[in-house]
Amino acid sequence: MARSVRKNADARFERGTGMMKRKKKKKLALALAIAGCLFLIYICTVMGAASVSLGDINRILLHEVFHIPVSLEGISEGSITIIRDVRLPRVLLGFLTGASLSVCGAGYQGIFKNPMADPFILGISSGAALGAAIGIVLHFSGSIAGLSGTTFLAFAGALLTVLLVYTISRRGKKVPVASLLLSGIAVNQSLSAFMSLIMLFNQQSMDQIMFWTMGSLNGKGWNQVVTILPYVVVGIILLLTSARELDIMLMGEETAIQLGVNVEFVKKKVLVVTSIVTAAVVSATGIIGFVGLLIPHVVRLFTGPGHRVLMPVSLVFGGTFLILCDTVARSAITQEIPVGIITAACGGPFFLYLLRKSRKGGAVQ
Amino acid sequence: MLSLEDVSAGYGEKDVLSGIRASVRRGEFAALIGSNGAGKSTLLKCISGLMQPRSGKIIICGRDNAALKPKERARLVAVVPQSYSVEYDFTVEDVVAMGRYPYQSFGKRESQEDADAVRNAMEATNTLAFRKRLYNELSGGEKQRVILARALAQQPEILLLDEPTSALDIHHQTEVMELITELNRREGLTVLAVLHDVNMASRYCCRMILLRDGKIAADGEPSAVITKKNMEALYRMKLLIRENPLFHKPEIVPIRVLREEPAGRPVRIHVICGSDGAVKLIEELEDRGFELTAGVVNVGSGDCEICRYLQIPHVEIPPFTPVTAEAQAKNLEMMRDAEVILISDMPFGENNLMNLDGLEKMKGKIFFHKNALSGDYTGGRLIERLQKLGEKKKVVYFGDHDEFLRRLRELSGPERGEAE
Repeated sequence: MARSVRKNADARFERGTGMMKRKKKKKLALALAIAGCLFLIYICTVMGAASVSLGDINRILLHEVFHIPVSLEGISEGSITIIRDVRLPRVLLGFLTGASLSVCGAGYQGIFKNPMADPFILGISSGAALGAAIGIVLHFSGSIAGLSGTTFLAFAGALLTVLLVYTISRRGKKVPVASLLLSGIAVNQSLSAFMSLIMLFNQQSMDQIMFWTMGSLNGKGWNQVVTILPYVVVGIILLLTSARELDIMLMGEETAIQLGVNVEFVKKKVLVVTSIVTAAVVSATGIIGFVGLLIPHVVRLFTGPGHRVLMPVSLVFGGTFLILCDTVARSAITQEIPVGIITAACGGPFFLYLLRKSRKGGAVQ
Repeated sequence: MLSLEDVSAGYGEKDVLSGIRASVRRGEFAALIGSNGAGKSTLLKCISGLMQPRSGKIIICGRDNAALKPKERARLVAVVPQSYSVEYDFTVEDVVAMGRYPYQSFGKRESQEDADAVRNAMEATNTLAFRKRLYNELSGGEKQRVILARALAQQPEILLLDEPTSALDIHHQTEVMELITELNRREGLTVLAVLHDVNMASRYCCRMILLRDGKIAADGEPSAVITKKNMEALYRMKLLIRENPLFHKPEIVPIRVLREEPAGRPVRIHVICGSDGAVKLIEELEDRGFELTAGVVNVGSGDCEICRYLQIPHVEIPPFTPVTAEAQAKNLEMMRDAEVILISDMPFGENNLMNLDGLEKMKGKIFFHKNALSGDYTGGRLIERLQKLGEKKKVVYFGDHDEFLRRLRELSGPERGEAE
């Protein structure tokens, strides 16, 4: 008896200090990682094809971003424009895109309990692509609700697709995950076929459509940033509020219900929010694949599966990763490479490496 | 505490439960038993909110289950399912802490109360020592204790268990059942457990509810529920019910499911036995439809028990007493009309050598199990007696039961041929 009491006391003591240490260590590592990301973002911002000196870029950044009154004397108007209206919004858009796709990916992997889930698994990408293809083919130049025609059609296509998949797989009040996944795949395939058909009959637009589907931040500016910002901010906040529920749902839906989670509500909430955020992002940038699949997995290897840490860290890492890829895309060779190609090219092998290294079989099945 | 009022439920067209009426009182440890598909798990699902009953009401702590919000219900009822694994790397502590969800809301950080509840739950289940380990890396028994800890962290009024020990070996089965019993006794936790092991239920629970075809077939103390009639209907087999000598609780001893092929003609057999050696043979012979009598058996022996259970006429004497002349007279009387007299595999001593007296006057054919010769504690008098018997009457020696059954078949076969 006395022994067991002492054992418990020891355990409690060890627990107290151990947890503190562990938490502190974790927080420190996280802070370092975030600082590293900010530094990388800075590096990516100053790197580029345009010949503006580092000092000049710093002065423009301080002046334009932080509103510190440094003199911009001696810097050409062109340089200021390049940094302020081209480089900066592009970096920002890259961050928003990468962050949204990663957080949405984490949310999807959570509700689907399927490691291969990514934000495009319900057919959003092909829906958006079909919409964009129609827009491009029809030379839709007008603007609807402040969006360019192609962007609007892509957005609408994406949302309609998810709605279709959702309606097909709904059983009464419930939405079984397995049927969502399967109908997602089926709809994805048929929409891709439609798009191929459109491309076949409009060969003059083929390049443009192909380019759109590969995703790019080229030529995007403040306009796109402002358009997707509200969706992204509100959406990510909403997803973060479901982190605890998503953790518990990983234990299985029945268990989650028995622990008091309103499973069907959380599923619908995550589905609706991720669909809208992803649709907004995709319609602005085209299909940038792999980020939403890769980043949550990588982060999970370091943070464990808990969504309260997983989602915020995915946000930072995902944003940074896409900025990095975009920097490569715009400065590797003289011609712009669609960033979707870079993400897949970098991400695929890296993912495989992690998969082989992680023999724990926990985070990545 | 928990009352079920006319609960009916089912999947699709099929009704799995119909008109269930029962109530579990505070502090009870009740077992829900029944064959597969009897509706045990469905009933648990209805109580834990996974399923809505078609009709009827479930009242939990005075509140209608249908009107409870998921979190409210999770504060009253916690569920321990069959052992399962999770695909993700949660630590033991993470898993147990999930039990606090019903007490948390968004924006509210984990309180000291939460931390205390989690720690207490892990202490009560002996899981504190490996709280930092990954749930996936634990053994089955450890996992089940962690899941039990999670349920305790919910600080429920009622604990529901769905075959909590089905995937465990007997060490861990017993461990989990002991833990639950302790919680039930010490904390006064009300427990309703689906158990498929009736003997385990009998040993640990104070109450058993037997479901058959979605209805309650019996409800009460183990001794009232574990009856030959109930259990034979439940398992559709021959079984024996006796009091477990260690725990003084009723227990079942399974005997057989499949029937032997019936013999051609019901030969009249008398079995001379007395200890435990003839149980299997008597059961088999009875099953083949032979007309049996037996003697002289000591009360408390296996041979006696099987005769009583199968209602075979037999001669009894008290335990550890010698066969008296009076008992042997009864024995001879019983075997007078037997066609076959079987001297089974039994140890012979001074006390029971009397069993062989007077056999030479019987008309039945005598069969002797050779094994009985190795169990000879009479200092050679058994052999002498057999030789004497052999001079007056033929004694057929055989080596094992199968050989005996073969000879019986020869005996009963031809007559069947004639009848055809």
